[in-house]
Amino acid sequence: MAIAWPKERRLIGKDTPRVDGTEKATGRAKYSFDINLPGLLHARILRSPHAHAKIKSLDTGAAEKMPGVGAIHVIKAAGSEVFYAGDEIVALAADTEEHMHDAIRAIKVEYEVLDHLVKEEDALKATDKRTVSGGKQQKSNVQPGGEETRGKVEEAFAKADAVVEGDYGVATVCHQCLESHGLVAHWDKDDHLKVWCSTQATVLTAQVLADHFKVDANNVQCITHYMGGGFGSKFGPDIQGIVAAELAKKAGKPVKLMLDREEEITAGGNRPSAYGKVKIAGNRDGKITAFEIDCYGTPGYGGGSTVNLNFLPYPYDTAGILPSIQVTGAIPNIKRKHSVVRLNTGGARAMRAPNHPQSCMLSEPAVDDLAAKLGLDPLQLRLKNLPLNIPGADERDPTSWNALRNTIFTQEIDIAVRLSDWKNKWHPPGKGPGNGVLKHGIGMALHTWGGSAAGPNECKVIISRSGSVTAETSTQDLGTGQRTVTCIVTAEILGLELTDINLKIGESQLGISGGSGGSTTCPSQAPATLRAATAARDDLFAKVAPKLKVDKADLAIEKGKVVDTKSGKSWAWKEFCAKLGSEVARGQGEWSLAIAIQTDEKTKKPLNPGVSNVQVGGVQVAEVVVDTETGMVQCTNVVAVQDCGMVINKLCCESQVAGGVIMGVNYALFEDRIMDRHTGRQVNADMEFYKLGGIEDMPKIKVHMHDMPERGVIGIGEPPTISTAAAISNAIFNAIGVRVPDTPFTPDKVLAALSKKGGNA
Amino acid sequence: MNDPQGRSRNGPGYSRRDFLRGTGIAAAASTLTAVPALEPAAEAAQDATGAVAIGPGSTKIRLNVNGKDMETTIEPRVTLLDALRNYLDVTGCKRVCDRGSCGACTVMLDGKPVYSCSMLALEARGKKIRTAESLISEDGRLDAVPASFVQHDAQQCGFCTPGFVVALRAALDKNSKATPADVEVALSGNICRCGTYEQMRHAIASLCGQGKEGG
Repeated sequence: MAIAWPKERRLIGKDTPRVDGTEKATGRAKYSFDINLPGLLHARILRSPHAHAKIKSLDTGAAEKMPGVGAIHVIKAAGSEVFYAGDEIVALAADTEEHMHDAIRAIKVEYEVLDHLVKEEDALKATDKRTVSGGKQQKSNVQPGGEETRGKVEEAFAKADAVVEGDYGVATVCHQCLESHGLVAHWDKDDHLKVWCSTQATVLTAQVLADHFKVDANNVQCITHYMGGGFGSKFGPDIQGIVAAELAKKAGKPVKLMLDREEEITAGGNRPSAYGKVKIAGNRDGKITAFEIDCYGTPGYGGGSTVNLNFLPYPYDTAGILPSIQVTGAIPNIKRKHSVVRLNTGGARAMRAPNHPQSCMLSEPAVDDLAAKLGLDPLQLRLKNLPLNIPGADERDPTSWNALRNTIFTQEIDIAVRLSDWKNKWHPPGKGPGNGVLKHGIGMALHTWGGSAAGPNECKVIISRSGSVTAETSTQDLGTGQRTVTCIVTAEILGLELTDINLKIGESQLGISGGSGGSTTCPSQAPATLRAATAARDDLFAKVAPKLKVDKADLAIEKGKVVDTKSGKSWAWKEFCAKLGSEVARGQGEWSLAIAIQTDEKTKKPLNPGVSNVQVGGVQVAEVVVDTETGMVQCTNVVAVQDCGMVINKLCCESQVAGGVIMGVNYALFEDRIMDRHTGRQVNADMEFYKLGGIEDMPKIKVHMHDMPERGVIGIGEPPTISTAAAISNAIFNAIGVRVPDTPFTPDKVLAALSKKGGNA
Repeated sequence: MNDPQGRSRNGPGYSRRDFLRGTGIAAAASTLTAVPALEPAAEAAQDATGAVAIGPGSTKIRLNVNGKDMETTIEPRVTLLDALRNYLDVTGCKRVCDRGSCGACTVMLDGKPVYSCSMLALEARGKKIRTAESLISEDGRLDAVPASFVQHDAQQCGFCTPGFVVALRAALDKNSKATPADVEVALSGNICRCGTYEQMRHAIASLCGQGKEGG
């Protein structure tokens, strides 16, 4: 049966403080890191200090005899190769952290140190050298990452009114999850494992552990009631989780293994870099006619591209996450090439809109540089090159991205222009009203993201005769407000308040759910909850109607009561539920990408239109003040206009968008993983020299949710962090009239750019 | 051993943390003059000058946490943060950087905000320690600071939040007329990764009696 959101919405779309707010703000919420159990052992991993080495010998004999040691687990035996400073070698658990540190120091490892490469530019110069894993046929750390050509690029460059060439880039940044990766493992019986894991995926984590230990999946339970930040880096138990469970099994005691800050930064994942040479051409009417890019980035010791090559120039030629999103083909002549530069550094992981910030940083600054060469306001260039709505798409589904993308971008740009006072504040680059050494600038950038349902996610709603309502789901609340979303939807459908809902969340055995990645949780979980609550309501009506001698089809929910629409008689919620007698009412609901995209065979129209959707736009405008004497950049204001289909909780939604912007300001101005080419180690694997902004460093942020309830639910976590840095880059260019090529836009780079231009802004 | 493992904190070398732990005995001894009541400790030995050495073995320690006296046995090198979290199960203060740069471990010590990762538990004897858990009473009455954080959604994952609310509570206790700019300075030793500063500003504005700014 087709499902739909209620037309009249009492709670959905309003400002709702998160239901676990007090627990968190008073330190009572228990995160995995906070779990203490009787007899708990503390564990730690000894890691390679070398960026590339062979383990000659490993001796844990002395460590085994140290006070308090409960178990030792070798991860890489003698003879193994390690590929970055931080690679895991052996783990140890002891009764106190103090004993653990002492015993770790007693482990003896001999290494044969091998050549390493930890900087992209070094690897690109030494293409005959391989210092990472691979077969004999792989001679180099540098590998092809894709290449494609469309149209007649050279001809288009020759014919264009203006051609601009430039270097652009974004540095590798670290997730810096405040709660580090790790878990507490406890074997109840030989084959029953319970873990409290800091993860974005309870079900996957339990599954991977069950597979590893070859035990029944039902015997492994993963609990994630609270989670201190993941941003894409926390799927599954990881090596440290498996090791903790191994140690717990060996020691016969629960084991806690949470990474320390240095490990978190070096081994807990990072967002890969991307640097590129771009050539872009356009005509005086503002139309981009050709785009050429040769770019590279490093995923660390592993592999994989660091940009979405087929999205460039982003988001003008953007294809889309799902095949159903048609390629715009907006730019007729394209040449794109990417190289993957593998290094002896920690492996990249998904990070908040993987590859999109990189793609945006390699495109949007070039668009502004072209606008400057053409003597145009870049706003005009953006409007002129927006991807077009696909003709005919609105007949099939008027809420689809194919039908709306140009409309959404145009509307959002219009809102952003008004909120930022763009028309008064924009001036030709470097030509702003002067105030001595302080130069003002304003810049814009666009982004897009999928955010479809994924799942399958499951929710169960149980109504008891006392009127109490329990909602159960295994999905996890990373701080995204998923707990609150589930309560809002359940309460909305049943006419109750949020405090009436007992929620069980973040436990793998409570049903199926997907990992929280790709902004897919809300669009999977909210419709599943809608279905579960609706089914529970229908079950309640079916069970109670005969006892009241009314037709269940005439019953309806109103706030706090059930109404017989035929007679007008009503019952308070508890009074009505009491009629259940010895029964309970239950509903189960499921939602997934497969369900979301089901279409009618004949009409090809969606079967459940407007429940969940895919692909959003987003526009951000940043203002900066650049001190041309010191090179300091201060970002003073950001306007973020963001759509995400139907907003479920406006308060938390705005909060997440502002959070995305702040993460963007951080990687634009402060964040840089600095590798030392001599030792092969990260020199700032900490929070002193790996800079993150504090409250005083942040701009005033104005968030505008472009609420489109008719589209249904779409995820919001990732998009708002994509375009911030590109908008800041463009604002700096607008202030000083010269491009600072890559992040972070630190004073040295600003001064270098200014001196290249001749020293003056 | 023929490798430079000593530079790694995993190796047998000398790290800042070792230094802190190593100086524990001396530091603890130096604070004793300010602490009238010395906990009975088997290892404590008084020399002719009256200086007391504690450790290197475990010693009994009494700490006053959120109005309650709590006792445990720890080595002198244990930080206040680790004593609270690992030995007393007071986990509102979080371990994040463990190096005095992020503020997640902030507690009040006699009303003053301190990084509990950067002092020894022994140094906190005789002082009143308050963590975020003290900002709600047993009958559920919520302090204005966390209440404002909840109302304005000044938290996401919430891992930094207890540190922020403690630092903010201490700032307002010190100066009840603090302006939002004063409060921002008081919070400059705390880091949030989810990016809740904008909502925090709304909370601060309401706590400073100025209401939420438009926009």
